[in-house]
Amino acid sequence: MPVLAVRDLSIEYRTRHGPVQAVRDVTFDLEQGETIAIIGESGSGKTTLAVGLIRLSPRSARVTKGEIRYDDGKRAFDVLSLDAERLRRFRWADCAMVFQAALSAFNPVITIWEQFLDTGRAHGMGDKHKVHDRTRELLDLVHLDPKRVLSAYPHELSGGMRQRVLIAMALLLDPRIIILDEPTTALDILTQRAIIDLLRELRSRLGFSTIFISHDLSIAAELADRMLTMYAGRIVERASVEDLFYRPRHPYSVGLMRAVPRVSGAMGSVASIPGSPPDLIRLPKGCSYYPRCPFHVDECLEQDPPLLQVDTPNHEAACIRWTAVATALGSDAEAPVAEKLA
Amino acid sequence: MSAPLIELDGVSRTYTTPAGTITAVDNVSLSLEESETICIVGESGCGKTTTGRILAGLLRPSGGRLLFEGADVWEKKGKDLARFRRAVQLVHQDPYASLNPTRTIAQTLAPPLAKHKKAHGRAARAAMISLLERVGLTPPADFLLKYPHQLSGGQRQRVSIARALTVDPRVIVADEAVSMVDVSIRISLLDLLHNLATEFHVTTVLITHDLAVARYFARKGRIAVMYLGKVVELAATEPLVSDPAHPYSTALIAAIPEADPTITRTKKRVTLKGAEVPSLLNLPPGCVFHPRCPLAEPGLCDVVVPPLGDLPGGRSVACHVALRERQPAAELLGVR
Repeated sequence: MPVLAVRDLSIEYRTRHGPVQAVRDVTFDLEQGETIAIIGESGSGKTTLAVGLIRLSPRSARVTKGEIRYDDGKRAFDVLSLDAERLRRFRWADCAMVFQAALSAFNPVITIWEQFLDTGRAHGMGDKHKVHDRTRELLDLVHLDPKRVLSAYPHELSGGMRQRVLIAMALLLDPRIIILDEPTTALDILTQRAIIDLLRELRSRLGFSTIFISHDLSIAAELADRMLTMYAGRIVERASVEDLFYRPRHPYSVGLMRAVPRVSGAMGSVASIPGSPPDLIRLPKGCSYYPRCPFHVDECLEQDPPLLQVDTPNHEAACIRWTAVATALGSDAEAPVAEKLA
Repeated sequence: MSAPLIELDGVSRTYTTPAGTITAVDNVSLSLEESETICIVGESGCGKTTTGRILAGLLRPSGGRLLFEGADVWEKKGKDLARFRRAVQLVHQDPYASLNPTRTIAQTLAPPLAKHKKAHGRAARAAMISLLERVGLTPPADFLLKYPHQLSGGQRQRVSIARALTVDPRVIVADEAVSMVDVSIRISLLDLLHNLATEFHVTTVLITHDLAVARYFARKGRIAVMYLGKVVELAATEPLVSDPAHPYSTALIAAIPEADPTITRTKKRVTLKGAEVPSLLNLPPGCVFHPRCPLAEPGLCDVVVPPLGDLPGGRSVACHVALRERQPAAELLGVR
């Protein structure tokens, strides 16, 4: 039973030039304890989707259709039907979001302790001592020294420490789902590594489900069980992490994989994706990846292809040419795309 | 070996802050030849940007010399200095901030062409068209009348590179030039910069925190790894990434998450003794890395500052232990 079941979710932004179709017909399940990574370029709709899941979208955004079904075994509801008060509770108690550890994620004029207290109070934790005990426990859990951190102001902490604080704060009400938006971007390598290891440890200890939004494929490679590739607002590929990295079937996933150089192993044939994403106000007819796609044929212009089951189980790609992609990549061995294409 | 084109000779840069004096760059020497590609790699606060600004002649070193064609740049005057200014160009990190939003691309490119090449009117237009073609903005005529806000981040960065090229530079210093553009187009920008080195013999220095980017860009060149103001390792790219000599570079490479689930989940790690980077205000004595270093030897590493010495294979490393054992740290730590 998935803890979150998203069905046909579509989100538009109203602009002077017309509606921007930022998220189109997105369907996926997030299972209990599972980690899903959503990848795609900027403008692919991944952040709109993530923020939309907890209805934190800006005013100009509107859900035009779909359902976001939450079910933790005790309670089940459609997130889109919640009233303001129940939505507020859902947001921290059931599903918490961790943003990039920029200073803007904090109130700059209060201490870390006061940030925890504010959050606790806003969510009905009236007993100050209880909040304090829970906060100390969580800071221990993220390997921070409560004595040093609690009385500090956000600017007094390093980026890595701030990210740990944000993660601890997200865990305050023991949510079943954590959504992380670029959790390690802008952090140094060794700090990045420490945060990845921490997330892995917390996930296995606490058993929450995770959705990651990142343009950084290596974070997905580290932590994801399953992956979704988004392009022009749609999910164009849905696969296990191994299938997506070693046996991608959508040309856009192939392009993303090839675009990232690595430090170890052979460099292979790395290359950027030519062109740029389509205008989401005036989407072209047919497959929206057509103009950038090296595999395209005339038939691709006839309709925006639905997700099709491909040659590995539980693996779908929205591409009528997926067999050509499979042939181009050759072997199914666990080797990166850039190496297979070299 | 030909004579170096541009050279840092023991440069340092200190800053005075209310809390005390900070040495952002400490005794860095680096000599670059014509058409060489080199990356300066390190984490935030390591001094890589300051080093780049010294190299570009934008920041006067507090100690040491910047030499261009063998002559001290800060002794240069008049025409000689102007020639250096043209020869070395900087490409900034943020293509959103480095272009004037009120000027079209033509208005951005024309003034340096007019000033340095006396190109006006038709000649200037022809020069601009050829520059835009060179940086891959085609068809070029379409871009001349556009404003920066009408371009994507990658296109803006190409305009920045075109602007740097207006004066036929011999050295380009690109500071995190690809970190703000989308992952999907980084490689094409790196290729563009790389071509400047191979086809137009421009010495290209890329400053980055991303070792994978550094490996790709400097695949035929070198990488310098900086830590707390010092170059701790300088070597040809492939040996450096496959068999790092300094324990710090070894730890960095072992820690990098890779875009390959099998490799990244089974990588051998290096456990450091401390997670926190020491403050520049209060640097440890001896080797600045010793409080975190798994190879550190008491009585040596916490007392004596290690020199940048040579290991076999033309690589330089500032580590007492690696130099004594004549072996890279990656071997000593068993993570090769």
